[in-house]
Amino acid sequence: MVEIKNVSFRYGSDDAGVKAKNSLKAVSLTVSDGEFLLLTGPSGCGKTTILRLINGLIPAFYPGELEGQILIDGQDISGRELYDTAHRVGTVFQNPRTQFYNVDTTGELAFGCENRGIPENEIYERIDDTVSRFHIESLMDRNIFHLSDGEKQKIACASVDVSGPGIILLDEPSANLDHASTLALRELILHWRKQGKTIIAAEHRIAYLWDIIDRAVILRDGAIARELAGAEKDALTPDELTALGLRSTVMEAPTDVQMPAFLAGDALIRLRDFHFSYRGETENIVDIPSLDIAAGEITAIVGANGAGKTSFLYCLCGLEKRCKGVMEYKGAVYDRKARKKLCFMVMQDTSNQLFTESVLDEVLISLPKNTENEKDRALEILRELDLDDYLERHPQSLSGGQKQRLAIACALASGREILLLDEPTSGLDHAHMMETAALLKQLRAMGTTILVVTHDSELIHACCGRLIAF
Amino acid sequence: MAYSSAAAQGKRKSFLDPRTKIALVVILALFVLGSLGGPRMEPVKTGLSALPFLLLLLEKQWRRFLRGLVMLEVGYGLLGALPYLPGTLNFIALMCGGILTRFVVTIVMGEYLISTTSVSEFISAMERLRMPQAITIPMSVMFRLFPTIQAEWKSIRRAMGMRGIHLGGARAGQVLEYQMVPMMTSSVRIGEDLSASALTRGLGAPVKRTNICRIGFRAQDIVLLLLCLAVIILWLIGFFGVNLW
Repeated sequence: MVEIKNVSFRYGSDDAGVKAKNSLKAVSLTVSDGEFLLLTGPSGCGKTTILRLINGLIPAFYPGELEGQILIDGQDISGRELYDTAHRVGTVFQNPRTQFYNVDTTGELAFGCENRGIPENEIYERIDDTVSRFHIESLMDRNIFHLSDGEKQKIACASVDVSGPGIILLDEPSANLDHASTLALRELILHWRKQGKTIIAAEHRIAYLWDIIDRAVILRDGAIARELAGAEKDALTPDELTALGLRSTVMEAPTDVQMPAFLAGDALIRLRDFHFSYRGETENIVDIPSLDIAAGEITAIVGANGAGKTSFLYCLCGLEKRCKGVMEYKGAVYDRKARKKLCFMVMQDTSNQLFTESVLDEVLISLPKNTENEKDRALEILRELDLDDYLERHPQSLSGGQKQRLAIACALASGREILLLDEPTSGLDHAHMMETAALLKQLRAMGTTILVVTHDSELIHACCGRLIAF
Repeated sequence: MAYSSAAAQGKRKSFLDPRTKIALVVILALFVLGSLGGPRMEPVKTGLSALPFLLLLLEKQWRRFLRGLVMLEVGYGLLGALPYLPGTLNFIALMCGGILTRFVVTIVMGEYLISTTSVSEFISAMERLRMPQAITIPMSVMFRLFPTIQAEWKSIRRAMGMRGIHLGGARAGQVLEYQMVPMMTSSVRIGEDLSASALTRGLGAPVKRTNICRIGFRAQDIVLLLLCLAVIILWLIGFFGVNLW
C-alpha cells in the first residue's frame, strides 16, 4: 500500500517559475495493493512529482522543500536510501533513450538484480521467465541503440519485471510510441494487473488505459482536482474531459483517420525517386518512386515506429546526402541542396536546434543576409508567434512548447516555404496540443506548406487536411 | 525452444578479457602516446602500434580499422612531407602529424575496448581488479554516455546544416560556440536522466554486486599480458642503463 499523507513539495531552484511549476500542495492519496491508478492533468500539474516521491528520487535526487509523509507498506520512506526503495518500487520512464544503463539488452534486464546481489543462476531464471512471458526473445542479446523506441520501452518494462517489485510506476511511457507499440504496452500492463501488482501511471495519452484503470486522479496546479472511479469514470463526456484539460479517452489509430492524401484541385508538390537506406543496410527505409503533396495544406504523415517517417523528413529537407530524389514545386525542380533552402524541419527534440544565447539572436541569425531593418523584422516575427515577452531569455531555458515556437519563428525568418515537423505533440497535454494545432493553422493561413509526422490522432483531427500513410 | 539467457551469455564471450584490453590501453598510452623510454623504445613502439589494428581485424570491424589506418597514414605523411614545406605550413604539419601519430593508435585501442566490451563485462572486470565502486561506476557510465553523446552530436550537426550555419558560411566564427550550447544542455540532461534511472534500480547499494556476464583469461589473454610485461621489463632494463641495442 502506498500512502501519501498531506505532502507539499517545491523543487529547490532559484527560478521562481520553476519552483511554482510541478510543485505539490497538501496532497493526500492512498493506493491500495493491486490497484491500478492513473494520474493525469495538464503539464506541470505535479504528476511526475508524485511518482518521484514514491520511488524516492524526491528528495534523494531532486532536492527541495518537502513536508508530510510518504509511506510504503506502512513504512516512512523519506529518510531511506534509494536502493532500499528500489526493492519495492520499479519505474518505467518517459524517454526511452536515456533510461538504460547498459548497451546490451540482456545486461539491462539483469541490472536491477545484479545491484541487489542476487545469485547469477537465479537472475538467469528470472530473465528467462520474463522473456517468455513478454515474448521478447527476438530482442535479447541486442544493442539497445539499434532498437526502435517501442522496442526500447518493452525492454524498460521487462527490466522492471525481472526485478519483480510489488509497485510499478509508469511515467508517460507511451509518449514516444506509435499505435501498435502503445497497444503492446497496454498488454504488458494487463499482464501485471493479473499478477496483482500495484500500478501507478502518469499519462497525458489516457485512451489506451482508460478502460483498464481502477481509478483516475486528476491533478491541477499541484492539488487533486477530481477523483473518478467506476460508473462515474465511464460516464465522462468529451466536453467534461476537455473542461478538465484531459485528452480523449477514445483510442483511434492515426492510419484509420479518413482523410484524402491529395485532391484534384490542390497545388502540386511532386517528389520523385526518394530512396534512402542506412549505411550498411541493404533494404531502403525510404522507398518512394513518386509522391504528390498538396502545397499550402497541412498534411499528416502517419505510420508505425521505424517505417521511415523521420528519415523521409530528413531526405526531404536535404540532410541525407545519399538520397538523390528531386522535388518539383512551382514549375521548378529542386535538388537536395536547393531543398535545404526551401524546407525547414522542426525536430522532435527542439533543444538540439537552438544555438544562441537569446531568443532575439536566434531569429536574427536566421534572417537572410542583407535583410533591411533586421531587428524590426525579427521583432515582427516574434510578435506574431507570441514570443515578444521573451526576447532576452536563453532559448534553452524556455519550455518545450516555447522552444517549438521559436524554431518555427526561425523557419519564418529564413523565408522557408515548406515546414516539416517531427512529432510536435508527443508528451503534450490537451491545451498545449490545441495550441500547436492553432499555430499550424495560422502558419497555413500565411501560405506555408506543412508536413507533420505524428502518432496523435487528436492533432490530425484538430488541424490536418491531408493524410499520407507510410 | 525457450530462450536461455545463461546459454546466450556463455556464447557471447568476446575475443579478449576486458582486463587484457584495459592493460593494452594503458601500455599504449604510456609508450606510444607518452613516448615513455624515449628513442630507445622506438622499435617496441612500432610493434605495439600494430596491435589495435590486428585486434580490429579479428573482430571484423572494417570501418574502424580503415579510419584509424587512414588517419595514421595521414599523420606519417605529414611528418614525411616536412622537409618540403615552408615556414607556417611546416609548423602546422609538424603539429598535426605529431598529434596524429601519437594519439591515433591509443584512441583506436580505446575504441576497440569500448566497442567490444559490454557495460557489465567492464564492471565485472573492474570488480575483479578490486577497484572501488567510486571509480567503477563513473567509468562504466562513460560506456553508455559515449554512444548517446555521439548521436546527439550528429543531430546537432544536422540541425546546424539545416539552419544554414556552417564553416565558410555567414557566421563561421561562431560555429563551435553554437555547437557547444545545445551539446552542453543535452549532455547535462542525459546524464541526469541516466543517473535517476540507475538509482531507482538500486545502483550503489552496499552489497556485493553479482554479475551475469562471464569473463576469464584464455590463451590469447595470457600471450598479450606477457607481451605487456615484456615491454615493461624492456623499459626497466633501459631505465637502469643497460643497452641492449
